[in-house]
Amino acid sequence: MSTTDGPTLIPDDASAQEIADREAKMRQRKGWFPGLSDKWNALPRQTQWLILIVVVVIAYLLPILNPPLITTEPGNNWQIALAQMSVYALVAVGLNVVVGYAGLLDLGYVAFFALGSYTAAMFTSPDSPYVHIPYLWTLPLAMAIAMFFGVVLGVPTLRLRGDYLAIVTLGFGEIVRILATIIPAMKGQVGFQNVGHPPGTDSSGQPIFLNSSGTPWYWLTLTIIIVVLLAAGNLERSRVGRAWIAIREDEDAAEIMGVPTFKYKVWAFAIGASVGGLSGALFAGQVGFVNNQKFDIATSILFVAAVVMGGTGNKVGAVLGGALVAYIPLRFTAIAEFKYLIFGAALVVIMIFRPGGLLPARQSLLAYGRLAYNKLKGAVGDIPPSGKVVLEPGKGADNE
Amino acid sequence: MTLLELKNISVHYGRIQAISDMSFSVDEGEIVSLIGANGAGKTTTMRTISGLLAPSAGSITFAGQDITRMKAHIRVVQGISQAPEGRGIFPGMTVEENLDMGSYGRKDRTKVADDLERVFDLFPRLKERIKQFGGTMSGGEQQMLAIGRALMSNPKLLLLDEPSMGLAPQFIRQIFKIVTEINNQGTTVLLVEQNANQALARAHRAFVLETGSITHRGTGKELLANPAVKEAYLGVG
Repeated sequence: MSTTDGPTLIPDDASAQEIADREAKMRQRKGWFPGLSDKWNALPRQTQWLILIVVVVIAYLLPILNPPLITTEPGNNWQIALAQMSVYALVAVGLNVVVGYAGLLDLGYVAFFALGSYTAAMFTSPDSPYVHIPYLWTLPLAMAIAMFFGVVLGVPTLRLRGDYLAIVTLGFGEIVRILATIIPAMKGQVGFQNVGHPPGTDSSGQPIFLNSSGTPWYWLTLTIIIVVLLAAGNLERSRVGRAWIAIREDEDAAEIMGVPTFKYKVWAFAIGASVGGLSGALFAGQVGFVNNQKFDIATSILFVAAVVMGGTGNKVGAVLGGALVAYIPLRFTAIAEFKYLIFGAALVVIMIFRPGGLLPARQSLLAYGRLAYNKLKGAVGDIPPSGKVVLEPGKGADNE
Repeated sequence: MTLLELKNISVHYGRIQAISDMSFSVDEGEIVSLIGANGAGKTTTMRTISGLLAPSAGSITFAGQDITRMKAHIRVVQGISQAPEGRGIFPGMTVEENLDMGSYGRKDRTKVADDLERVFDLFPRLKERIKQFGGTMSGGEQQMLAIGRALMSNPKLLLLDEPSMGLAPQFIRQIFKIVTEINNQGTTVLLVEQNANQALARAHRAFVLETGSITHRGTGKELLANPAVKEAYLGVG
């Protein structure tokens, strides 16, 4: 036994490293826009903001532009389609916190969406015998109620992992729908008509937020999405965000790094649930009618499909996925009946060719994080570049 | 001074008993090795000490404090850090992010940079590969990262679960050298190994684990010379 060899590079290891490098390259070649996120991260901060502002302005102008080919007309009103797409996008952003960040497969997310819808309906609809409050107040209330139930569901079930958690949440999704059917106060299939809407009338005395006018609803939801995205971005970069990523990657390892895994899983569940409740309340307001038919398991699976399609763990991908899932059946009305078949096929195709989703998480998820780490411990930023590793901050670690 | 003490610990997986009535202690500044075959309960012992498993009976004391019921993430703050079996690094995080996660529970951020330097001194390779994803590194480098990450919490007690698993012989020697070095810097080490030769040679004291109980105990040298241990674990008759 020799003890003279110092802690230098190990020849036996070099070949293994070569294989690993090759694998890493292969992984990166997958995808339709190779290097797109790298290019994005390499842009200066000001340019990024400029592009974002242009994108946001275009998003706000969409109902007015009514772009040909993209538009859902004549089959469906384009403005209302946009309103529905934005609600789905918000749902996907919320679910992405649970599934994407913390890696908890929640198949019953529709339950929180339903709770939000019923909150809005039962506190504003004339069909409801209870206290009536202004519609806008139901938005925070829906968030609070959904969050409360998120914690109630999370505390006993988040000790479960993986498939077990998925099955329990699937059950929870059904429970809420069935309760809506059997509890008389929730009015089953009859439901609630004339759910409230935000105040305000136009010059001719008509309310601005009509069920038949999609644009104001779309603008309201889009604004909320932007606020939620900014909040989610801040969460990603915080201690909580890092803890979620660690939990998703390896829960035991996260725990022995000092991450209170259970607490942060409940947090992910609660935050996700509150966004689900919020989107449910917006949905109820826009459609103006709530009954038990809209909250089935298929809808729940559709939400998960939206997140997976868009890119699990990427909030912008989630917006894209959510909007797409709502858009496709509205745009291609001829195939709307087969939407689940088509989404199923699309998911299979995406999983084969782009397993990370349309906008994979990695780069956007931790690009900011990496900068933060560098700031955190100045020592790390000054490492001289070695042959194999790209070191520009924020450019991502590709092995070229 | 006794740093860690296990008293009459039993651990069950459901109805199956993995560890029965085990007692041993680790003194401050020691390297203690636990050796044994597959299924002897080595990893179970480690996971019980780090808090990922709850014992069904017995008590664990660390630095004079009863930690039997303490949650794993609090034990890290108290000074127990584990490099898990099969390395358990975060594959989708870079080396840098993995190391940063190692310091997650710490409040003394100013000292983290010093510990980072210490880890880079021990494992220069990690410094070279700072931006590389954990999952794309070779087995040896992942093991370095797992140990380095465990050191980032500045532990009093470092738990190493089979650091030699799946590594080339030359690299195993190097890992053990580094373990000794870490110990010389003042960190107590509890090591679980199948590679009995190295583990016993490096250890101040050692225990042999068989189907959930300790069957032999002594200094590393004594066990190396023990005929029964020799036959069963060192591959010489």
